[in-house]
Amino acid sequence: MQGVTKSYDGEPALADVSIAIARGEFAFLIGTNGAGKTTLLRILLREEPFDTGVVLVNGVDVSRIRGAALTKFRRRIGVVFQDTRLLPNATVRENVGLPLQVRGRANREIDVAVDDVLSRVALSDKGERFPRQLSGGEQRKVALARAVISKPDVLLCDEPTDSINPAHAREIIGLLLDINSEGVTTLVATHDSEIVNNLRRRVIRMDAGTILADEAVGVFNTS
Amino acid sequence: MTAKLNVLRYVLGAAMLGLWRNRTMTLGAVVTTAVMLVTLAAFLAINDTLNEMVTALGRKSNLIAYVRDDARPSRVTEIMQDLEQRPGVGEVVFVTKEDALRIFQERFFDQRDVIDILQANPLPASVELRMDDPAVLPALADELRGMTGVFESVAVPLDVVERLVSISNVSRAAGTAMIVALTAVALFVIANTIRIAVYARRQEIEIMKLVGATDWFVRGPFIIEGAFIGLVGATLAAVALVVMYLQVAPTITRIISFLPIATDVSFVRNLAVFIVLVGLVVGSIGSYVSVRRYLAV
Repeated sequence: MQGVTKSYDGEPALADVSIAIARGEFAFLIGTNGAGKTTLLRILLREEPFDTGVVLVNGVDVSRIRGAALTKFRRRIGVVFQDTRLLPNATVRENVGLPLQVRGRANREIDVAVDDVLSRVALSDKGERFPRQLSGGEQRKVALARAVISKPDVLLCDEPTDSINPAHAREIIGLLLDINSEGVTTLVATHDSEIVNNLRRRVIRMDAGTILADEAVGVFNTS
Repeated sequence: MTAKLNVLRYVLGAAMLGLWRNRTMTLGAVVTTAVMLVTLAAFLAINDTLNEMVTALGRKSNLIAYVRDDARPSRVTEIMQDLEQRPGVGEVVFVTKEDALRIFQERFFDQRDVIDILQANPLPASVELRMDDPAVLPALADELRGMTGVFESVAVPLDVVERLVSISNVSRAAGTAMIVALTAVALFVIANTIRIAVYARRQEIEIMKLVGATDWFVRGPFIIEGAFIGLVGATLAAVALVVMYLQVAPTITRIISFLPIATDVSFVRNLAVFIVLVGLVVGSIGSYVSVRRYLAV
């Protein structure tokens, strides 16, 4: 990402942001609310257009992709949205299997993959439930399962541990590290200082739409 | 190919699940579609019946051209054959002098002496025209009056004809205007109901797009759901229409037996098929258009 700017109604959300994340790397994106973390992730998914600059994801120029290329591009990216964005009228199994359904995989293949990933997030017994029947932490785990079931190249997580109990948060971070260890480039936006400080990974610190610091082993300075 | 079949299977399954899981909205949309289409169909049936009634009244208005005694029969036959081909002319009947006398005697039984004192039959033969469209009567009468070698005189109930033509024109124009307006309202309400149903699920569309679904993968279930809602709503409307027609038409016919009302079953059958097709098309196109606006994610 090079020199990226983005504004909403004249209000800058990102100002000249430049970062590079290597293939297979794990990085935290930290900052207070309004720092620009979510906007940055949305741009990486091409959910949001940007004003100036260049964004390359998996070698693809994000600003240029349209139609079928965009569909193909998104299939290589797993996303855990801040608000989970689970389909409210679909069961856990249906939600998790969706990325494989859109690829036209056979139901039997999808069933095997769903069983596997649900067991990984310890939700094997909740497959037939609907999102409203799950706790906040469980919903985030479902969102994570949906994000990784198709074995993406890149995983983008927006506040994956927000508003959930510490046990669930630790479980989710453990899963993220596992997934990253399989070679998936992982970028996690968070303002959970405990997790950032404990993991001692790369930290990209944002404030008011700019990159304040980019540290190979960073800490979350809450002061 | 296998992937496409899997997607097709998913789309069909997702449509059925979507209908069931959003059943309150599905039911609302089906009922709205049925009510709008039954209203439209009922009005189409009423309009058709009114037009039939006006046409039937028109058939009762006749033109009588009295044939000169010295007119050549072959010429009269020729004119009658020509008249039978004219648009708006229903039936052409030749009434001989003898028939005319018999009719007179039957109709004016108490004055039969008037005829008895005459040496010869004074009544002329005549050509009677029963019209399908009374609007052509005045021009036709003028034309026949011009044939002075054949006809003595031509009698037309012009005031009745003018009134009938006027009623017919107003009825048809008002009917057409109402049909256009009602069709527009019905289509708008049905399409809007589907639009609201899609709007309520716009987040689903966005989510599917963000996990890499193609546009057709997203819109497929919605189009099938829309077609289903339209089809079921329209079928209910068609059934209601047929039941109403079978129950109501005989009663109306009995009450106003002097006016022949359209009791043609094929008309109702065609109307029912038309309504079902309208429901199917509006439901699926309505969904297609409604989903399209949320696909640009």
